[in-house]
Amino acid sequence: MSELAAQASKLVLSRGSVTALTESDFTIPAGRITAIIGPNGGGKSTLLHAIAGLLPIKEGTLSVFDQPVVGVRDDVSYVLQYTTVPAGTPITVAEAVAMGRYPRQGMLRRPSVDDRAKVAAAMERLGVTELARRQLTELSGGQRQRVYVAQGIAQDHRLLLLDEPLTGLDITSMQTIDSIIHEEPEHGCTVVLTTHDLDEARAADHVLLTAGKVVACGPPEHVLTPENLTAAYGLGVLHVNDRPTLVDDHHHHHEGDRSHSHQHDHAHGHSHDD
Amino acid sequence: MEWLLEPFAHGFQQRALLAGSFAALMSAVVGTWIVLRGMSFFGDAFVHGIVPGIAASIAFNLNPIAGAAVAALVMVFLIEVIHRQTALGEDTAIGLLFVGMLALGVVILSRLESYAGSLTTILFGDVLGVTLPNLIAEGILAVLVICVATVFYRPLLALAFNPEKAELWGLHPRRTHAVLLVLIAAAVIGSYQSVGTLLVFGLLVGPPAAASLISRTVPRMMITAAVIAVLSVWIGLTLSYWLGTAGSATMAMVPIVIFFALLVITRVARKVRHV
Repeated sequence: MSELAAQASKLVLSRGSVTALTESDFTIPAGRITAIIGPNGGGKSTLLHAIAGLLPIKEGTLSVFDQPVVGVRDDVSYVLQYTTVPAGTPITVAEAVAMGRYPRQGMLRRPSVDDRAKVAAAMERLGVTELARRQLTELSGGQRQRVYVAQGIAQDHRLLLLDEPLTGLDITSMQTIDSIIHEEPEHGCTVVLTTHDLDEARAADHVLLTAGKVVACGPPEHVLTPENLTAAYGLGVLHVNDRPTLVDDHHHHHEGDRSHSHQHDHAHGHSHDD
Repeated sequence: MEWLLEPFAHGFQQRALLAGSFAALMSAVVGTWIVLRGMSFFGDAFVHGIVPGIAASIAFNLNPIAGAAVAALVMVFLIEVIHRQTALGEDTAIGLLFVGMLALGVVILSRLESYAGSLTTILFGDVLGVTLPNLIAEGILAVLVICVATVFYRPLLALAFNPEKAELWGLHPRRTHAVLLVLIAAAVIGSYQSVGTLLVFGLLVGPPAAASLISRTVPRMMITAAVIAVLSVWIGLTLSYWLGTAGSATMAMVPIVIFFALLVITRVARKVRHV
């Protein structure tokens, strides 16, 4: 396995006519957990989209497992932040998770024993086996997020991308998905996630701090310094007991999780788009 | 029993039943994706958008199916042009083309001597006037539509689930969307002679919408929609025979009645379960 899962040099990304990420250099180590943290509109989701091959590169280079992004799409599984299935779509949990095998099955191949085993294992790991026959639209936001992560890990992958996987979840779902994130490297997989939560970023092996560009990249203790956070967040950073804390700019909740409690002792911000 | 069989005693009545059933099957399969993807307004506009093509074919004595296909292409192209070149929403683009194409069709037909008769036939169909060649062509088209929809089941489901995921899974959402447009065009063009452009929309949306009330997976929704659609054709033709009403219109009305009946039944059943 390559030591680097991804590497960017002078990377520039844009969404339509708006530049979302100016010239940036960074590396993402293979087999580790990398957190991308930064203020709203800082380019976190844009970066994940580019790594997944959903967004063309405007300038510079971005390689994943030493290859151009499009060449490794089969190795990448991406759990999007907003997978909203239209209300009334009759899809069961089992069917949604089984869709994670589509890249291997293509349009016509019947599910193999291996496909079924991987779907069952993913559902088991995310604790959604009991919900197998339920409709996706009947689930709470936290349960749905577990289904989407199960769909993501049912797909064959070396790199798992998760866009704000823990935002606005109930505690059970948060703990379940958090444990999956930390188990994936044990299976040889690389995890890259975006977050607004400094503690989540501190718990990662590697951090990219973004604010319109990659401000800093490296181990959390080197990246999440008061100077870097102030550079990225400006007045959005408070220093409590000599420890940087992000000011809570606005909360959002996933549908169905209106009553979730937060287990962290610090304030945090969320974004709907960047 | 006699009142069920008598309406289909003659050849033209049997052809009407078969033509309606082919239209129903195509429409149920394609209509399921129209309903799931929230494309009902597009579907409605689309069925009216082919009117000028058919009208021009009648005026210049050309093949109406080719005329309808050209009109469908023009309509989809212009919707895309408006959508891409302006800040207007897709619904506005569809609305503009809906009215524009229908009006153009009526303008062309108004220059013909048999204006009223042609317009009525295009809009409402002539299910009792279906010929054997029409029937064979419609049957072949129905088989093709169902086969393509089956082959594209996964890409269509992925597209309905999330276009970005479909792209990530290598299931080409843009290509899939184009295939769906072709399927809609095929179902509409294949059905209009028997059901009419106005009423084919009833079969496209009515049975899938009714099926969605009682289905828990997409394949079941499709099969249930097909059963409801074929039943609607049969019930519609039987009623029209005994009541002396227009065949196509009666056929198109039945799935809407079934929808409301199922809506009441499912809501009452839900209330009873919660008591």
